[in-house]
Amino acid sequence: MKIKVITVIGANGTIGSKVSGIFASFGDTKVYMVCREMKDANEAVKKAALSVRANSITNNLIPKTYEDLEECIKNSDLIFESVSENIETKKNVYTQIIPLIDSNKIIATGTSGLSINALSESFSDEIKPFFMGIHFYNPPYSMILCEAISSKYTDKGLFGKVKKYLENKLYRNVVEVKDSPAFLGNRIGFQFINETMKYAEVYKDNGGIDYIDAILGNFTGRSMPPLVTSDFVGLDVHKAIVDNIYLNTADYAHETFKMPIFAEKLIQENKLGRKSGCGLYKSVPHIDGTNTIHVYDIASNEYRQIEKFSFPFAKKMIKEFRIGCYENAFISLVKNNSTEASICLNFLIKYVIYSLFASKEVGFSIYSCDDVMATGFNWIPPLSVIDAFGGLLTFKKIIEDQRLDLNINIEELLKDVPESKYDYRPFLKAN
Amino acid sequence: MNKVFVLGGSQTDFERSWSKEGKSVVALLKEVIDDCLEETNLSYKNITALNRQNKVACFVGNFLAEYYVNQGHLGSLLTEVDDAFYGVPSARYEAACASGSTALDAGITKIRTGDYDVVIVIGWELMKTVDSKVGGDFLGRAALYEEEAVGINFPFPKLFGRLADEILKKYHTPENLFMKSLATISNINYSNAKRNGKSQTRKWFMSELQANLRGDDTNPIVAGKLASSDCSQITDGAAAVVLISERYKQEHYKDQELPIVKGFGHRVAPLVFNKKIIESKPNKYILPWTRKAVVDAYNRAKLTVSNIDFFETHDCFTSSEYATISAFGLTEPGKEYEAILEGDIAFEGKSPINVSGGLIGCGHPVGATGVRMFLDLYKQVSRKAGKYQLQKANNGLMLNIGGSATTNYVFIVGKEDRF
Repeated sequence: MKIKVITVIGANGTIGSKVSGIFASFGDTKVYMVCREMKDANEAVKKAALSVRANSITNNLIPKTYEDLEECIKNSDLIFESVSENIETKKNVYTQIIPLIDSNKIIATGTSGLSINALSESFSDEIKPFFMGIHFYNPPYSMILCEAISSKYTDKGLFGKVKKYLENKLYRNVVEVKDSPAFLGNRIGFQFINETMKYAEVYKDNGGIDYIDAILGNFTGRSMPPLVTSDFVGLDVHKAIVDNIYLNTADYAHETFKMPIFAEKLIQENKLGRKSGCGLYKSVPHIDGTNTIHVYDIASNEYRQIEKFSFPFAKKMIKEFRIGCYENAFISLVKNNSTEASICLNFLIKYVIYSLFASKEVGFSIYSCDDVMATGFNWIPPLSVIDAFGGLLTFKKIIEDQRLDLNINIEELLKDVPESKYDYRPFLKAN
Repeated sequence: MNKVFVLGGSQTDFERSWSKEGKSVVALLKEVIDDCLEETNLSYKNITALNRQNKVACFVGNFLAEYYVNQGHLGSLLTEVDDAFYGVPSARYEAACASGSTALDAGITKIRTGDYDVVIVIGWELMKTVDSKVGGDFLGRAALYEEEAVGINFPFPKLFGRLADEILKKYHTPENLFMKSLATISNINYSNAKRNGKSQTRKWFMSELQANLRGDDTNPIVAGKLASSDCSQITDGAAAVVLISERYKQEHYKDQELPIVKGFGHRVAPLVFNKKIIESKPNKYILPWTRKAVVDAYNRAKLTVSNIDFFETHDCFTSSEYATISAFGLTEPGKEYEAILEGDIAFEGKSPINVSGGLIGCGHPVGATGVRMFLDLYKQVSRKAGKYQLQKANNGLMLNIGGSATTNYVFIVGKEDRF
């Protein structure tokens, strides 16, 4: 498939600009970066080049405004819509571009979770087969996951060719997923994150947010604790994702997608996380230029310095990881009877179970959950968690002993689960 | 002398930062040895059994562990990996960035003499424990430190920047042609690295245009004419290979075809860069001792350049790869740009160089590099290189350099000739 010219609409957004960089660099395509204002488009060009650390692609990046849409679309092989996550906003853009589209142009939306089928209804029957979803993760230069979603009208041959293009030309890890709210990566990731948020509320008298983050820190297979991740993503974005899932799905973990009240309150106060200066955490600057990290204390409704929690189970695991004794670390986790170890263990188990469930529900292969979590979140892939615990038999035994009540047939889910294709070792951090 | 067979090996993922993961050198060694044993179908029990007869030994290549991780006595460090190494002869070998090759040389020799049946060679370096400026100073110890490195920021880029200048001066190569060739070298290494799942830069973007954009914010000048795209990476990593004797092969792998070590070359040039240049003035090669090490290896293997299907070279900088092209005999000295610009050294070319991605693309954990190159020769010859497997790979040659082309090590690994 030859894609030489692309129009990105909404190119000054975080994803819009970075994806333009990916198209213009690896794809070596000319990219029209369409924004509301020319000054935004000029800024977006700089951001795009910087995101792939290569000013040489600037020649490929052409700043444009909506007034130029006709010219841009006429010359393009692919139109990538990356405007804000609002169905009306997206439909408005489609209304503008529909009269400009002639045949054989691929139209893709970068939505992170809106229904591709619903969006495709904006188009005429002639155009519908050319419309699909391509969900990049942020930042796309290091997170190479790309979820590809076809609608019921999408031309299968064309869809296959686009997937090949993303894989071979743009070096993406392409995972085809079903048109299901939030798709696969965010469904699994935010199930986990939102449930940790609920636990922070339940355990607010033990510390709450930083308590849970200390229990599920980097040593549990991630490069950032879950609630730091939420703070980083933004509580408003977090809410949009879980609300969408809560409203439009009804699986066994339904209640874990409900955002706790304290977080809703922070959003109302515009405490959205890192981007607004404070949220679950906030950085307090000192005169000498250093910062202290404070955390929102749910119980007292005030920010305070983060606690330096030191749980014996976590210390032991980190010590073992440091010298590469992964097996011992997991044995010690299972053997430890403390509340914290048990929360940690249960979260890891629930992560695997929900991932297997979601892979079946939203994916096309059991390996999908591994791909999305490893290359979209940089989290330990769920199947490799089973390997890290010592394999499927051991894992089943551990679950039995934990007596988890999840309202789902775990035995059925765990039947014939294959070994992961990923190595768990790089994901398990000794810090 | 006995034949030396290569049973297999493993490398760590060079994309990883062990400092960011919070892991120690023991975790690194444990991982590379676990994986190496798995690849070769050996076990710690096998090592214990072999050691009872004193038939196994370990050879460790590393340059600067005392500086980067405050650790010396690196042969004995393997006893922290597993009890099986208790009592196993093991020591560390050092020759700057050619440390991996000195360890290989020692291990190969011990098989040739018949002292041991199984030899494990491990090369490693953890370099991300310090920032690039401090690390650059550490690496200055591969030159004559007092004269060429003290108080100088990034001494090695400067030395290889000077090599670029000296090449231009010696051969009167048109500068634009030369700089274009260096950019092509960089781009080939980066694009080869995309096929290698263990390479450091597999997700990075590079193009000829970007490599030629020297002096831009996204490709700043590092030293002399060399920019960021002309330099290899700062890398954490380890590589390990297992070598076995003919007797052991007869006993355990009788019907299996295994790659064999066909020849080696080892020459040491004057340590100080200025002296190298003065010495080489009358010689048509700018790095005559590098050339000599290659010729020695060809002679020992009874092969010529025309028998070599692929090369792994020491592209610590694009200027070093450039100079090695004539040292291999692929072109006359001064005509290296012809092979580069005509596509000969590219993946699909007639003499591919660094299909692994080399030091620029795959990464350069200095003490590991020689072993990593050797492992890549093994992978190609035994057709286990996966996405970067070459069609024709019967004989491969590696050149591993320490310092400013001071220590020069060459190995040729190939299919065993059956008469």
